[in-house]
Amino acid sequence: MKWPKRSIRTSTESGNIRTGTESGNIRTRELEIGMAGSGKGPAILLSVFCALIILIVGIGVGSVFVPPREILFIMANRILGFRLPAGVEEITVSLVWNLRFPRVMMAFIVGAGLGVSGTVMQSVLRNPLASSYTLGVSSGAALGAGIVMVTGFSVPFLGRLTLPAVGLVAGVLTVFIAVSFASRMDRAMSSNTIILAGMVFSLFINAILTLVAAMSRDQMQRIIFWQMGSFSLKDWKHVATLAPITIMGILWLIRYVRELDMIVFGEEQAQSMGVDLKKVKWMLLGLSAALTGSAVAFSGVIGFIDLIAPHVTRKVFGASHRFVVPLSALFGGAFMVLADLVSRTILTPIELPVGAVTALIGAPFFAWVYFGRSRKGVS
Amino acid sequence: MTVSASATTACPVTSALVDAETNADAEVRTGVEIRTDAEIRTGVEIRTGAEIRTDANALLELEDASCGYGGEDVVRKVSFRTHGHENICLLGPNGCGKTTLLRAISGLLPLTGGRVLIDGTDIRHMRQKDISRNIAMMSQLATVHFSYTVEETVMLGRYVRMKAGLFESPGKEDRRKVRECLEAVEMADLAGRPIDSLSGGQLQRVFLARTLAQEPRLILLDEPTNHLDLRHQIELVDHLIRWSETEGRCIIGVLHDIGLASRLADRLLLMRNGMLAADGRTRDILDGNCLNEVYGLDVRAYMRNMLKQWEPQGGNFHESR
Repeated sequence: MKWPKRSIRTSTESGNIRTGTESGNIRTRELEIGMAGSGKGPAILLSVFCALIILIVGIGVGSVFVPPREILFIMANRILGFRLPAGVEEITVSLVWNLRFPRVMMAFIVGAGLGVSGTVMQSVLRNPLASSYTLGVSSGAALGAGIVMVTGFSVPFLGRLTLPAVGLVAGVLTVFIAVSFASRMDRAMSSNTIILAGMVFSLFINAILTLVAAMSRDQMQRIIFWQMGSFSLKDWKHVATLAPITIMGILWLIRYVRELDMIVFGEEQAQSMGVDLKKVKWMLLGLSAALTGSAVAFSGVIGFIDLIAPHVTRKVFGASHRFVVPLSALFGGAFMVLADLVSRTILTPIELPVGAVTALIGAPFFAWVYFGRSRKGVS
Repeated sequence: MTVSASATTACPVTSALVDAETNADAEVRTGVEIRTDAEIRTGVEIRTGAEIRTDANALLELEDASCGYGGEDVVRKVSFRTHGHENICLLGPNGCGKTTLLRAISGLLPLTGGRVLIDGTDIRHMRQKDISRNIAMMSQLATVHFSYTVEETVMLGRYVRMKAGLFESPGKEDRRKVRECLEAVEMADLAGRPIDSLSGGQLQRVFLARTLAQEPRLILLDEPTNHLDLRHQIELVDHLIRWSETEGRCIIGVLHDIGLASRLADRLLLMRNGMLAADGRTRDILDGNCLNEVYGLDVRAYMRNMLKQWEPQGGNFHESR
C-alpha cells in the first residue's frame, strides 16, 4: 500500500518558516486572495455612487425640475446649517425638503427593507422563490390595514400611525402563525413545509380581505389602492418612524451573515458546523418578517423588489452574505426610488401605483441581468 | 503512543504484521464480537477483550443509544466507545441505521433512549457549538449553484473556533488555519476560485478542508465518496487517513465500498436492523464470516471473483502502478 509522501505537518512547517522562494510564493498567493476579496471594492463604490445619483435624480425630477446643485445647497443648509446662496427660492427649499426628500427617503428605506428581507428569506428557506410575501406577511398586513380602514378605529397614542402599526403586527403575526403551523405538521420545520403553509395562509387571508372589502363598498377603492402601494404624502414623521426599525433590523440581520452562508449549504451541514439551527431560523424569519411587515404597513404591498434584489446582488457580487445582505439593501432602496420616480412622472398628472412599476421595469431588468450576464459567462 | 499502536492505525495489513511480532499486545486486542442471530434479536451484550481496554473518558461513548423518526426506532440500543485514536467504519445493508446513528452522534437527531457521551459529557447537555468543536460531519457530495469562493467556503468551518462577538470577523489565526487545510488537501492554488466552477472531486476536497478547518477531534463521514470516481474516492480516503495520522484523531465513517472501508478503518462495526451485529478489528471482521451473515451474500466469493478477472492475463494488481 502506498502512502502520500508529504504529510500535513511538513507543509505547515514550511509555511511557518517561509524560506526563500517559498515565502515569495505564499505572498503572491495571499495577494491574489486579498484581491479576490477586495476585487469587489470598485464595484461596491460604483454601486454606492449610482445609488446616490439615483437619490439626487429622484429628488430633482418631478413637476418642477430642481438642478442637483440647488439640491446639494439645500441639503447643506438643512443638515449642516450652511447659508443658502442667493437665487434659491424659498418655495424650492420647501418642495425639496418637505415633499421630495422625505418621499425619496421613504422609498429608499422601504426598498432596502424589502430587499434585505427577500435575501434572508430566500437563503433561510433555501428557495429562490421564497419571500415574506409568499409567507403571508403582505396579506396579513393588508388584512390588518383593511380592517382599520373599514372600521375606522384608532389605537390610543398612535393616532395616524395606527394603520402602519396594525399592518406591521398583523404581518408578523401571520408569519408566526404560518411557521408554527408548519412546525406542527413537520417537527423538523423543513423549508418546503413552511413555504407551503405560508402560501395556504396567504391565500386564505387574501380571501378574507376580499370579503371585508366587498362588505364595505365605499372603502373598497381605498383598500385596493393601498394594496397597490404608493409613496405620496409621506413626510418626515413617516421617515422618523420607519427608519429606525429598518436600520436596526438590517444591522441585526448583518450579524447573522455567516450563519446565513452556512444554512445555504444545507441545514444539517450548518448544524454540524455549530449553528443552533432552530433558534437562528426563528430569529431570521421573524426579523425579516418584521422588516417586510413594517415596510408594507407604510407603503402598501409592493412586490418584486424582494424577489429581484437578492438575485441581482448575488449575480453581481457573488454569494457571500457579507456582501449580499448590505448590498441588496442598497439595490432595493435605489431601485425603489427609481420605480417611484417613474410612477409619478411617466403619466403626469396621473400617478401609477408603484407596485405596478416595480414589476414593469423590474422584469426586463431582471431578465437582462440574469440571462444577459450568464450567457457572457458561458462563452 | 507506542510504535505498534501508531502502525496499527496506518493500515490493517501492516498492523497484522506488527501484531504478529508483539504478540502480547495482539492477544488483548483481538477478539471480534460476533453476535449470533438470536443474540441480536434479544439484544444481549457480549463484551469481550476489546471492551476491557477502556480509557476512563473515551472521546465518544454510546450507551444503549436508540433513535429514529416518527416514533419508530431505526437505531436500537447501540453501545460502543472509541479507544484512543482509531478509525472506525460502519458497515451494513441499506436501511440498517448507519446514517441515522451518525446523525444521533452529531446531535442532529435527538435520542429516544440511551446516551451519547463526548469526553463523558452527555451531548444533551451541550450546546450545538460545543458539540461541533469536537465532532464534524462530512456528507456526500451535493450540487452547489452559488458562487462562494473556495476560501470563503473553507472559512465557514472556522465558525465554531471564532470568538463570539457582535461583528466577529476572521482573524489571522483563522486565515492561517484555512490556508493550512487547503494545502493539506492540495487546493491552495484554487483558493480564489468560485466553487461552482470546480469538479466533483475538487469540490469534495474543499468540503474536506472545511471539515478540517473546524479542528474537530472526531470526523463523521456519511458516504462522502458517493458520486466520485475511483481515483478521487481513494484520494479522499487517503487525505482523511493522513489527517487522523498526523493529528492523532478519530474518524467514524459510513462507506459502502468494503475496499475503501478496509483502507480507512482499523475497526469495523457491522450493523443489522438497527443493532450492532459485530465489532472488531478490520482484519478479523474480514476474516470471519459475519460480513456474509449481515449482507446475506458471500462477500468474499464476490471479491475473489472480481480479482479473478485480472488473473488470466497474468498481470499483477500490485505492480501495475
